Amino acid sequence: MPSTMELSLSLSQTTAATFEKLALLFPEQELSPEQEAAPLDVTVSVDFRGPFTGRLVLSSSASILPEIASNMLGEAGSRQPPLQRDALGELANVICGNLLPAIAGAEAVFHLSAPRVHDAGESQSRDDDAPSGHVQFGVEAGRVSTTLYVFGAIPAHAHATVA
Amino acid sequence: MAFNVLVVDDSAVMRQMVVRTLKMSGLPLGTVLEAGNGEEGLYVLQDQWVDLLLLDINMPVMNGEEMLRRIRASPELEKLPVIVVSTEGSETRLAALHELGAAIVRKPFAPETLRDTIIRITGVSDAEYYGAVAVAVADDGGDF
Repeated sequence: MPSTMELSLSLSQTTAATFEKLALLFPEQELSPEQEAAPLDVTVSVDFRGPFTGRLVLSSSASILPEIASNMLGEAGSRQPPLQRDALGELANVICGNLLPAIAGAEAVFHLSAPRVHDAGESQSRDDDAPSGHVQFGVEAGRVSTTLYVFGAIPAHAHATVA
Repeated sequence: MAFNVLVVDDSAVMRQMVVRTLKMSGLPLGTVLEAGNGEEGLYVLQDQWVDLLLLDINMPVMNGEEMLRRIRASPELEKLPVIVVSTEGSETRLAALHELGAAIVRKPFAPETLRDTIIRITGVSDAEYYGAVAVAVADDGGDF
């Protein structure tokens, strides 16, 4: 099974690439004090099943959602909170869809659930699963974090060399 | 020539993004139709003339692969240009879609990737795509 560090590296590359291409925002690995202090107000997740099962969780500061939605959907989308959350959900979906082949190899077939918005205070993990990978970026005046939960172990035959 | 395009994706956000990208790409658009899954998409194709289908894979009710198989089995629709726009990363699944004659654009995609794929799969010329005047200016060889 890949180590937490390997999974986090893969998570980092996939998250950064998705934000750059889909949301036209450039995540920074070094967070400023302002970004560090920004709350993670909104959380979405995508469940997956295939050679292994788990969940990808994406949290974001609410302050950057209008810019994410505006870049993805145009000005009209930036003013509607439900669309802002849906845009974040789509980012989570794309991150998850690109992360899993990086972990399991190009032949593996996974099924992804529709993105789900979590209520404030709702647990993001199943029971008390420990994260298998975690990464945090500064984005504009806020921050985002991506966490991967794998439920059980990744079978030895089901992982590729993580870049 | 204006293209009638059908976008099939269960995510309203992704449909909106794809339509926005199409509008920004300069493709001469006619009617843009939307559907939330493969079954809805097939109903649209029964009633409307469509020149290009942009299709997601992972959808409820009927997924994109099943919709594509039914299109290829239909004498009226078998030659419809189809671009699969998906996060799907499995080479096994992508190869099956390719065999069914679909072009693949992986999410996240750059607008020019979608534009170039449309040009390739529809066979539309640059002049048709951008308009004759724009192409003439581009071919002028002028300095920027």
